Amino acid sequence: MEAQNWQLSNPILGLAVVGATFVLFYVVGFLSNRKSASAKDLYIGGGNVGAFTNGLAMAATYMSLATFLGITALILQLQVPFIMLWIQLILAIPLITIIYGTSLRRMGAFSPTHFIRDRYGVTASIIAALFMILVSIMYALGQMIGIAITFETLLGIPYLTGLFVFGIIIVGYITIGGMAGATNNAAIQMVIIALMFILPLGAIMKAVGATGWYFPPLFYSDMVPAMLESLPTFFDYQFSPKWYFSIIPALTIGALGLPHLAMRVYTASNLKSARSAMVWFAFILGLVFSATYAMGFVGVYATATQGLVISDGDADKLTIILNLVYNPEWVTALVIAGAISAGLSTLSGNLLAIGALISQDIIATLKPNIPERLSLRIGFIAIFAGGLVSILLAIEPPAFLVVSILWAFGLAGVTNAPLIIVGVWWKEANKFGAIAASVVGGAIYIIVSPFVFPSIVLTGHGVTDGMGLSGAMLAVPISFILLIVVSYITNRMPGLQNKLTKQSDIELIERIHGWKDIKSYRYNSTIGAGVTVVVSAAIAIWALMPWGM
Amino acid sequence: MKAYKKEVQFTIWMTAAFILVGNVGLIFSIFPVDGMLFGFPVMYIVPILMGWFGVFFLTIVAGKIGNRIDDEIDSENDALGVSDEAKDV
Repeated sequence: MEAQNWQLSNPILGLAVVGATFVLFYVVGFLSNRKSASAKDLYIGGGNVGAFTNGLAMAATYMSLATFLGITALILQLQVPFIMLWIQLILAIPLITIIYGTSLRRMGAFSPTHFIRDRYGVTASIIAALFMILVSIMYALGQMIGIAITFETLLGIPYLTGLFVFGIIIVGYITIGGMAGATNNAAIQMVIIALMFILPLGAIMKAVGATGWYFPPLFYSDMVPAMLESLPTFFDYQFSPKWYFSIIPALTIGALGLPHLAMRVYTASNLKSARSAMVWFAFILGLVFSATYAMGFVGVYATATQGLVISDGDADKLTIILNLVYNPEWVTALVIAGAISAGLSTLSGNLLAIGALISQDIIATLKPNIPERLSLRIGFIAIFAGGLVSILLAIEPPAFLVVSILWAFGLAGVTNAPLIIVGVWWKEANKFGAIAASVVGGAIYIIVSPFVFPSIVLTGHGVTDGMGLSGAMLAVPISFILLIVVSYITNRMPGLQNKLTKQSDIELIERIHGWKDIKSYRYNSTIGAGVTVVVSAAIAIWALMPWGM
Repeated sequence: MKAYKKEVQFTIWMTAAFILVGNVGLIFSIFPVDGMLFGFPVMYIVPILMGWFGVFFLTIVAGKIGNRIDDEIDSENDALGVSDEAKDV
């Protein structure tokens, strides 16, 4: 089989399926949006979404085009190490929920930045908001690339045409829909994503001769011997324990700082419901993640044993290509609709986060008295503008769409996660520490990324640096150290006392943990802070030592 | 004091458990294991199964304990004789 131009031969069929899913989303979005009267409705759906719907929506927001197209592409490139990297991404919502989600839900926060404003003041919150806008745009960029690639395959149109025409249509839908529409839609999208990924995968497995096609996520072990014979290195871990360790600061902690994800915890109707949503999230995400590993496995299997040729430039299309080769066209059309659903739900989460960041966290913070109508309008404009920027950035995309998304995780882990985690659990954390952590940590992370100064990188291994694994392993611990040490010192400088808000910080922390009284022993451990600094210093030093890649 | 200690210990240990269960690949990269399980190499399938069912199991445990700690914090609050108005929204 030769490398070729992969596209549907019957684009009308594909367009009809995609059109039908869009109509469904528009109707749900429109019906839900009629209720979207205030900013609270727009961003967190009124805060009364049920556990199952919310669990599905959390999974759909998280499960972006990266899951549908990106993972399989990088499994083709990196093989098993990338699967090991991806597995822990399921921890995002559970860790957000237990570490700070319920506290912020109790506080009634719109967004993590809202917490940072109340905890550290306006300057720190605006710095955090600016970084979060960058995070959301980089994340949205990956979705835009995926959407353009999907339409490229669907209609055989050039990448740029797909990007502009369909990018703008999708951004328009999100601007009109708001979060209530997004939450209901995301739940529907999750069902579509799961069905359109797993059922066609079963058909592909049947076509390549696997006997476990009836449960694709786990039953493909009969393909293992042939895989080991033709590609014995597939299951090799390839990298050192240091590489596997760097996944924790970059992606596990990184996910804790993602604005659009944490917002899903706040849409829960109460704390118990938020915790139930986390259980649904884990079950459904585990199912679909396992199916994507199987899809990646089948893709590598098909190239290794069945003579399928996929050029480097087409790696992001692997999922669609497998369907084109092994399934009837109408199935591929459904898969494409599923891919677009995946991109749509995440993109709406990203763009709504940008809307909330600009209108609530920056403009309403600087000018608290602007009318709600105007604030809402600014939110809509920000959502649309954020979408346009991500379209423009996608004109010259990086080699793999997943790279920009994972890099965004690291940036969130450096500039946002330490401020929230330490801010919720340690009363001494103050605004000077927060600003130092966010600005210095963020600057270091950006400097050592290959995108700004390609010669200043930690490993020289393109994908490792590009995904931010090495940068985050250095910058995340530095951010924790700066936050703790600078706060500890400035709290003891007499000249700064009138610039700090110690009493209100203490009251806020007690309140968001559910206490009605104040006790000095609570959330005040110097030993805990000291241990965090020592462990962080050791990790940062380790990151600077040679990676041997 | 009791509920506070439980809350802090629960968060630390639960976070550690989640990170461990989600990063079995890291453990295997330090302590490699040969052998097959369910027809797959152990170092391939165990991280995948733990990353699904292990995490799923932990979310159930975390949900139950989290709810119980909330109740204990509420009852310690009630013991203070503070009114209920600031209760969970």
